[in-house]
Amino acid sequence: MAKTFHLTIANVGENLFDGEALSVTLPGAEGMFTVMAGHEAFVTPLNAGVALVKTTDGAETSYTLSPGGIAEVSGGQATVLL
Amino acid sequence: MALKDIKTKIKATERMHKVTRAMEAVSAVKMRKTQAAALEGRAYARAALSLLTRLAGTRHVKEHPLGQEREGSKLALVVITSDKGLAGALNSGVLKRAVEAIEGRSIEDVTVFAYGKKGQEFFSRRGYTVARAIENKQDEIPLAIMEDLVTEITEGFLARKYDKAVAVYSNFKSTFEQIPTMRRLLPLSLPALADIVGGIVPAKGKWSSEEPIAAPASYEVEPSDGEVLGILIPKLVAIALYHMLLESKASEHSARMVAMKNASDKSKDVVRDLTRQFNKVRQAAITREVSEIVSGREALSV
Repeated sequence: MAKTFHLTIANVGENLFDGEALSVTLPGAEGMFTVMAGHEAFVTPLNAGVALVKTTDGAETSYTLSPGGIAEVSGGQATVLL
Repeated sequence: MALKDIKTKIKATERMHKVTRAMEAVSAVKMRKTQAAALEGRAYARAALSLLTRLAGTRHVKEHPLGQEREGSKLALVVITSDKGLAGALNSGVLKRAVEAIEGRSIEDVTVFAYGKKGQEFFSRRGYTVARAIENKQDEIPLAIMEDLVTEITEGFLARKYDKAVAVYSNFKSTFEQIPTMRRLLPLSLPALADIVGGIVPAKGKWSSEEPIAAPASYEVEPSDGEVLGILIPKLVAIALYHMLLESKASEHSARMVAMKNASDKSKDVVRDLTRQFNKVRQAAITREVSEIVSGREALSV
């Protein structure tokens, strides 16, 4: 089974996603990128766009990111703040 | 006091009681809403500030102008108060804390950013430069307002108009306890940030049991360090300020609710005391009249 990591996508007032994910595709400042388990620690601002989250049950969910945000990956978990 | 005066006084106090009770009810509703917002916002603020703290530990930030300590005494002071009074010692506490924060600096060295009329009035009356005054009217504030404010402060900081930026607000503990708090915004420093994050205690939920922040030795920063940090740091500082604003809102309405409740209780006491006095005076008058009649009759019958 593929490895998962903990992903949090949060807005000021609410958590949009909080749980284990296989991968997440995000609109970075320099184009789309995908984060999977074991990604190196990094941080980047995000453009407005769509975050595509893949979970272990094969479901793909998309979240609208507007007006953009911040993505951070460190120590086996990823945080997306809008 | 004459009977009529007491009666008027009772009426007036009762009217006052009605007003304070209504204000108490209004504040109670607002308090519930703003408290919920503040508590919910804590998780987000904590996540954002933890991120900032982790970043502050890396060399990228230490090398970034926004993270560098400077000699100099020019201070940007953000004061978050309410627009209206009648909230107990809330605003005076915050202003007292703010005065402590600027102690030892001359008037020219301090630039005030006032969020809320009370803070603005206080500092402009004393001759300080109020660079920006924002009304603290609505309860729902867009993050964008804070971003504007932070942009102005960071630009001023980079242009060396200020050497340091601090914020004073009232931290919400519980309905009965609000603590005037000062936090440093710029330059970024690990201890100051750890202090802020430590002060954010979510009531419950995911972040409530989070262990201390472990900073990875280095971050990959994309696209380039300076550029990204120039965007990230103001954004995260704006989130910190926004969090402070939510806390202040919750504090304001809680303090006002408690103040109005005290006023209502007190006015009830006053009405009771006055009524007692009213009865006494009335009874005294009756007794006097009766004894006059009786003694008059006795004088005649002899």
